[in-house]
Amino acid sequence: MSTTFLPCGDYHQNYAQEHAWWQTKFIKGKMILLFLFLFVFIPVTANSYWISVCNMVGYTILGALGVQLLIGYCGQLTLGHGAFIAVGAYASTLLILEFPWPQFMLDWGIAYPVSVIIAGFVAGIWSVLFGLPSARVKGFYLILTTMAAQFITVDFLLTQYVSQIGGRGQAFSLPLGTIKIGPWVIDSDLKVYYLMLILVIFFCIVMANLIRSRVGRAWVAIRDNDISAEVMGINVVKYKLLAFFVAGFIAGITGAFWISNLAAISPEHFPWFLSLSLVGVILIGGVSSIHGTIFGAIFMVVVMELLQLAVMPMADTYPKLLMDFLFIKEAAFGLAICLFIMFEPNGIAYRWQQIKNYFNLWPFSY
Amino acid sequence: MELFLMALTNGIMVGGIYALVAIGWVLIYKCSGVLNLAMGEMTLIGAYLSLTFYSMGVPFFLALLISISIGFVLGILTERIFLDKLIGEPVLAVIMLTVGLSFFFRGSIELIWGTDTRVFDPPIFSLEPIKLGPASISEVYLWSFIAAIILLIIFVCFFKYTRWGLAMQATADDEMAALSIGISARFVYAIAWAIAFVAAGVGGTLLGNINGLNISVGYLGLLVLPAVVLGGLNSIPGAIVGGIAIGLLQNFTGVYLDRFFPGAVKEIAPFVFMAVFLLFKPYGIWGWERIERV
Repeated sequence: MSTTFLPCGDYHQNYAQEHAWWQTKFIKGKMILLFLFLFVFIPVTANSYWISVCNMVGYTILGALGVQLLIGYCGQLTLGHGAFIAVGAYASTLLILEFPWPQFMLDWGIAYPVSVIIAGFVAGIWSVLFGLPSARVKGFYLILTTMAAQFITVDFLLTQYVSQIGGRGQAFSLPLGTIKIGPWVIDSDLKVYYLMLILVIFFCIVMANLIRSRVGRAWVAIRDNDISAEVMGINVVKYKLLAFFVAGFIAGITGAFWISNLAAISPEHFPWFLSLSLVGVILIGGVSSIHGTIFGAIFMVVVMELLQLAVMPMADTYPKLLMDFLFIKEAAFGLAICLFIMFEPNGIAYRWQQIKNYFNLWPFSY
Repeated sequence: MELFLMALTNGIMVGGIYALVAIGWVLIYKCSGVLNLAMGEMTLIGAYLSLTFYSMGVPFFLALLISISIGFVLGILTERIFLDKLIGEPVLAVIMLTVGLSFFFRGSIELIWGTDTRVFDPPIFSLEPIKLGPASISEVYLWSFIAAIILLIIFVCFFKYTRWGLAMQATADDEMAALSIGISARFVYAIAWAIAFVAAGVGGTLLGNINGLNISVGYLGLLVLPAVVLGGLNSIPGAIVGGIAIGLLQNFTGVYLDRFFPGAVKEIAPFVFMAVFLLFKPYGIWGWERIERV
């Protein structure tokens, strides 16, 4: 990308080089180190608590990617993304539990992957349904429709009807060993971690490439000014709905992935707070930036965990603190969003870019 | 028939409270263009404040008055600390700031008052239903409605006859012109937030009297959004009509649709209605249609 600084006297000689993600050997080295860190260092050194924190980060990244696509790249404000994650999770769970799979598919471990993909499509279509008003309204009105999506889907349909299927009461629990991909049974945090890593990397690559394709450029044009985009010959409604579909698809996959981490799912896992916090994540990390999604998710999860670690020692003297910590966390998160919007409106990704540029251009930064 | 009348009266009464909160919302939007998603939490703050003073033994009206004045100060502070820096920023930033505020308020409320349901004890309104012709309604609803109507009249008079009210109308109409005749727009924004806090607080107190007060009353505060969408975002009569319409819608669906869709149909109906309504008439009944030029 154009933000990469090449060493002095080093030029691109063909287009393939200019389009390459990793343009210099140095960057390739850095990325290999990053992969080693993610795939080897963390699993070897981290204990199960930190692995589960990492899983939470991955879940947040995957969830926020769809929000980033809608808000950051297509300019469609959404406050109901949690609903689509919920739809994905429920679709996948119901498929696994209720669908009469042939025995060989269960034995070969095809059931879960297939259900994940179907969950993605179901959530995508559900998302398009609530994206339909975007053909006529935008901005604040769209926020209201997506908000309605959250309440209708999670608080009404899932709580009142879907949860009753099979007569299990409120929560669906997944028996151990039902979630397996091929011969690989996902039953520990570490395995969830690897699955998460693969999904996050895959979807980051997909998103990054989608954004610089024809579709992505159409989205960005719609975000910048939808009337001009229409004048330029972009089918605005089609691309808006496509954005909703892709975002919903990613959300569905996210939900279907997350059931591997949850022993049981219930509507309480997908409150409105989740939808709002996903938007908060991209605002803290930086709108219109995939880095921003990742930084925002890390900030939100890890900083909150650190806050917890800082507060917990005081719990011996103030036992009430243990109970109240959830509320402190909520208030702190809200305050963080406010402060970021007020003082760092471009998010962490912008600051990261500034720091990188500083070191790239050092010592002559003019 | 009796069922119908009961739903009708109850709907209008509860709708009066919604209308009151919705006016606070519309006021902020009209004056400063801020789309406020923290309204639910603002109702909670006012409600909890009056409950606290009431349970300390202060007479109800005095407690309400104290909570109103604290709400007024909180509104000014909120505007000064958070919203003032964002004048002229993109819509998303401002909306998300109010979302951040709602997290912050909600966390603080839960921290201070806990999550248990609290009731006004001893009850302020007697539980005996009042006969109103063929329909009977509980006293809480009636008094809430009367209080809401009185406040609505006070607000309307405030806008029509006082200096501040006129200044707010002028700013809402044309900020540049208002500035040029010496109205301080920042002052107007602060007052708008203060009044919104007050309206939300009174609304919250009344709602808290109906079924007790817990964090889910804040969800009722969110019902102002369907109400203002129905009436049009920048129309005060629209807010009143929208609020009452949403109250009616809720009660009628509760009475008639509940047996077909058991469960929370009453809570969800306003949002379903809003989603469908937006498809056909996005600018509401009296809202201004925004004409865009490139």
